[in-house]
Amino acid sequence: MTILRHLKAAAAAVAFVFATAGMAVADPITVTDVAGREVTIPAPAKRLLLGEGRDLVTLSVVHPDPVSVLAGWLGDLRLLDTDTYEKFRTAYPAIERVPLVGSTNEESFSIEKALSVAPDLAVLGFAGHGPSPRSKEVIDRLTEAGIPIVFIDFRGKPLENTIPSLEILGKVLGQEERVARYVDYYRERLELVKSRVAASTAPRPKVLVDMRPTMDGGCCGSPGKGNLGEFVDLAGGHNIGADVLPAPLGPLDPEYVLTQDPSVYIATGTAGGAETGGIQMGAGIDPAATRESLGRLANRPVVGELSAVRDGRVYALWHSFYNSPLNIVAVEAIAKWVRPDLFADLDPDAVLADINGKFLPVSLDGSYAVALKPE
Amino acid sequence: MTTTPLDALAGHRRQMARRVSTVSALGFLLFLAVIADIATGASGMGPDTVIRGLIDPETLTRVQSVILFQVRLPQALMAVLVGAALALAGAEMQTILSNPLASPFTLGVSSAAAFGASIAIVLGISLPGIPANWIISANAFIFAFLSVLTLQALARLRGAGIETLVLFGIALVFAFNALTAMIQFVATQEALQQLVFWSMGSLSRADWNKVGILALVVAVVFPWALAQAPALTALRLGEERALSFGLNVARLRFVALLRVSLLAATAVAFVGTIGFVGLVGPHLARLLLGEDHRFLLPASAFAGALVMSLASLAGKLLMPGVTIPVGIVTALIGVPAFLALIIGRKERS
Repeated sequence: MTILRHLKAAAAAVAFVFATAGMAVADPITVTDVAGREVTIPAPAKRLLLGEGRDLVTLSVVHPDPVSVLAGWLGDLRLLDTDTYEKFRTAYPAIERVPLVGSTNEESFSIEKALSVAPDLAVLGFAGHGPSPRSKEVIDRLTEAGIPIVFIDFRGKPLENTIPSLEILGKVLGQEERVARYVDYYRERLELVKSRVAASTAPRPKVLVDMRPTMDGGCCGSPGKGNLGEFVDLAGGHNIGADVLPAPLGPLDPEYVLTQDPSVYIATGTAGGAETGGIQMGAGIDPAATRESLGRLANRPVVGELSAVRDGRVYALWHSFYNSPLNIVAVEAIAKWVRPDLFADLDPDAVLADINGKFLPVSLDGSYAVALKPE
Repeated sequence: MTTTPLDALAGHRRQMARRVSTVSALGFLLFLAVIADIATGASGMGPDTVIRGLIDPETLTRVQSVILFQVRLPQALMAVLVGAALALAGAEMQTILSNPLASPFTLGVSSAAAFGASIAIVLGISLPGIPANWIISANAFIFAFLSVLTLQALARLRGAGIETLVLFGIALVFAFNALTAMIQFVATQEALQQLVFWSMGSLSRADWNKVGILALVVAVVFPWALAQAPALTALRLGEERALSFGLNVARLRFVALLRVSLLAATAVAFVGTIGFVGLVGPHLARLLLGEDHRFLLPASAFAGALVMSLASLAGKLLMPGVTIPVGIVTALIGVPAFLALIIGRKERS
């Protein structure tokens, strides 16, 4: 108990120091987060608690030195996406000393550890690996300790919430100009896709998105309403999972897939995909390795019979785009693959290179969007 | 009115005839269920097209032919084989442990299989040299088989009675569930999802190779079990009585457990965990036919296969276009049938 009191005192002291400093140099900052909560902090945050490790990439879009404002974070990126973590570790060796407040899921999130790193702001996701607006105990304890919380979201409603989430972080970190540059770029790219699709009267091709395919998993885990399916609709395709699946993700009946006979097949891959017979993608992965596993999986029973596969419209997309501010790369890749009639001029690889060059302090090179047949 | 031996003999004959016709009726119901299962699916291809396609595959379009021969037939046959295998395993297990709650799943086989699957799905760990598309099945089989062998080893220890075995089996369930939970705790969300779907059981992973392997296991084990039916019936009457007949009960248990492990481990390895059918199949058969294992074993297999076949059919009808994990539907189908039989029986007695 005394420890907790000490902690509270420490947190209060920290808050007080920032509050007084804030009074001297800046006006308080007020934002409305994506959960609709109004949050006010006395000054730009300098010690962030990151509820989901994957949001380090988000933080690097917002802040030129993301690790310098990291007080503590969940271990999911460090433990699960080791390739991306390595890239950050090479650029910022200090990241190894940033305390983990949990391993890879909400249950492992230690409130005590989180309080002990004395953050001045907690950034939590809407859903994902870490605490969410439903994690009442976490929210209550942080609130009692005087640590403000903002919720961001790139996953539940990626197309709606990506820009607001980035702008919220820009405000609370005092990086509004930097964020505005990325948001302008993002918005322009997105509008281009939207406007061309809106102007087109051609029928939407049927698309099968096969999320985390494996040789043993049968066919097919597909997005329903939401998730990557949203990107397919935005890009002018028709996600066949949306017609029958009530949840964001679920198993499709192979017979239904055969009957629908989609003309485009998009499989998703993750960093550890190869180990379990899936598709390997992400930072530091050679696209040739992605192609090899994609070719194997596209020719498995049922999927191998589809028009998409016979016509060679077979693609692989990095799975984590469903929860990333870089999701514009996925939107453009899907647009180019699904609607070559509208988007032959797009180049998702160039977009990623563009983002790496202009906006990210740590370049993400690897295998993120791959066609089985290089064009 | 005294019963003469002749009357008793006639009564016995009538009873035998009734049992034969009951088993035949179950077999016929199963046949109808399988036909319905093969003639149902999201594409709306009906019985006429299916029968025509089975007789002359040339009449089908390419997609129809894939649907019939690569999707519906393997799934329908897999349902039958899995149901038969699990119910047969359950019947033998209930007998050798003289415990009505025993089934391959209540004693840790499925928990062990799930653990094996989880280390394949989450950690990618498997025996070297196994192709990627078999590692989940191989791991599930190895762990399921090892769990029964562990039970087996305990059974061979002098002085380990059947109560000890059952308790040990239940301890295995908790141990493997905890291990699986540990693996889940470090899994990516993607791997976790795959594991969750695996553990709900699914027939959509069926293909001809898997159907062939399971069919082979059932074809070997079923006659073997049937050959020991009289001994099992005697054991069911009580261990002392079986011993007085000169039966080697320890050996009988050992061999039966071996069969159980083969059946259950193979079935679970291919379709994931499907509970309940191994428990309810034998009970349905027992309610209909009593304890004579010459009838109980085939009837258990038929009853289990029937429940699974109907579950496969119901799964397609409930949400067209979506694969509902068959493990969910099995209980939804099995429980009402089971209750109806129990209640009907109560009224008769």
